[in-house]
Amino acid sequence: MKDLKLKIVTPEKILFERRILQVSVSTVLGEITILPNHIPLVSQLIPGEIVVKTDQGEEDLMAVSGGFVEILPDQVVILADTAERAEEIDEERAEAARLRAEEVLKTKVADAEGFAMFTAKIEKELARLKVARKYKKKGLRTGQNN
Amino acid sequence: MPQASRDIQRRIKSVKSTKKITKAMELVSAAKMRKAVSKVLASRAYSDLVWDTVLHLVKKVEANKHPFFMSPKKVSKVVVVLISTNRGLCGSFNTQLVNKVLESIRIHHPETTSTDIITCGTKGRDEIRRYKVNLIADFRKEDITNDSEDIRPIAHMITKDFLAKRYDKVFLAYTDFMSSLKQAPHVKQLLPIVPEIDARLGHITHEKGQGEKINVESFSEFIFEPGRHDVLDAFLPRLLEVQIYQSVLESEASEHSARMFAMRNATDAASDMIDELTLAYNQARQAGITGEIAEIAAGSAALE
Repeated sequence: MKDLKLKIVTPEKILFERRILQVSVSTVLGEITILPNHIPLVSQLIPGEIVVKTDQGEEDLMAVSGGFVEILPDQVVILADTAERAEEIDEERAEAARLRAEEVLKTKVADAEGFAMFTAKIEKELARLKVARKYKKKGLRTGQNN
Repeated sequence: MPQASRDIQRRIKSVKSTKKITKAMELVSAAKMRKAVSKVLASRAYSDLVWDTVLHLVKKVEANKHPFFMSPKKVSKVVVVLISTNRGLCGSFNTQLVNKVLESIRIHHPETTSTDIITCGTKGRDEIRRYKVNLIADFRKEDITNDSEDIRPIAHMITKDFLAKRYDKVFLAYTDFMSSLKQAPHVKQLLPIVPEIDARLGHITHEKGQGEKINVESFSEFIFEPGRHDVLDAFLPRLLEVQIYQSVLESEASEHSARMFAMRNATDAASDMIDELTLAYNQARQAGITGEIAEIAAGSAALE
């Protein structure tokens, strides 16, 4: 089966680098799934999830807070501002961070820039929460099967 | 004990305590250096990939039309962002960087009528002030830069000034971390972006990162979502941020390595000095003893 190389990098580290079958990301124009032999493309990412299907057939879940995706014939590069694996996200802390950001937004909105920053923060935390919950649900389901 | 040997002993004691301090500073710097180096290496992958993407993009877009790429016919005003350290005791680290900046101003821009300086780090600021340059802004440098948020104000300021055509060129002066033994001060052009020159940061990846080159021109189609200019507008400020962030990390790794070696040299020099002083002390002590024996012998000879 044909596969392609996926690299997910953040300024802090290389999060993911291996061969995969497909990957889904959320871009500004909507969610796209990239399969091998995709046409070259560059797009901007919005906070959301990355779903990777590896060549072993397993699914990997990651949260991303925005960035860019570059698709070349044999490889996909995701330049994320921040990205985390689903299993690394602490759901409670993500929820707390989101609430905190919402609270600040409600009480004092200093200027347009600050508003945009906090809105972005809420969106980012929501994406993290979503990924964390999805991962938990999946984990429970497989737990029952066993 | 005679006066001479007591003086020497006092000096030995003071050198010993200095040695203890430099040794401790060496160890602290070594720990900080390890942290900074692992950071700089980790983020090099990202900045390399961002640069690669830009190289791919410019081949497909008439990028010359984008304001970030447009270089003016005549360069009359440039700005240099000088990334230095907050603390001293790191050898000639900051002096070298400042000299490099002054030299590059002299050599490369004889036609330049004015050069403004933006500093980040107090030592570089104090150093360059002596040379009667036009210092327009000073940013506080964190001792350990944690994420790219910290440098966003600098990126914001130079982007704004460049787009407002207040400056024709923007340069970045930092210290490239080549290895823990070797760091090189470097001045690089940040704006307008020159896609031909390999402007990557970090010499280590320079050498090994050349493996995979993708020929973008062979693609018949290259899609940009939402649109070419939207992608460039979003991507290029990010590129600047990444480049500044990377150079700050490079400088930090270099700073700590430079300090570690400066402190190691100081410790070694203290050891040598202690050896010398101990020798001098023993000689003085021996001379004293010999003198006393001679006195006793002379005294008993007088009694006979």
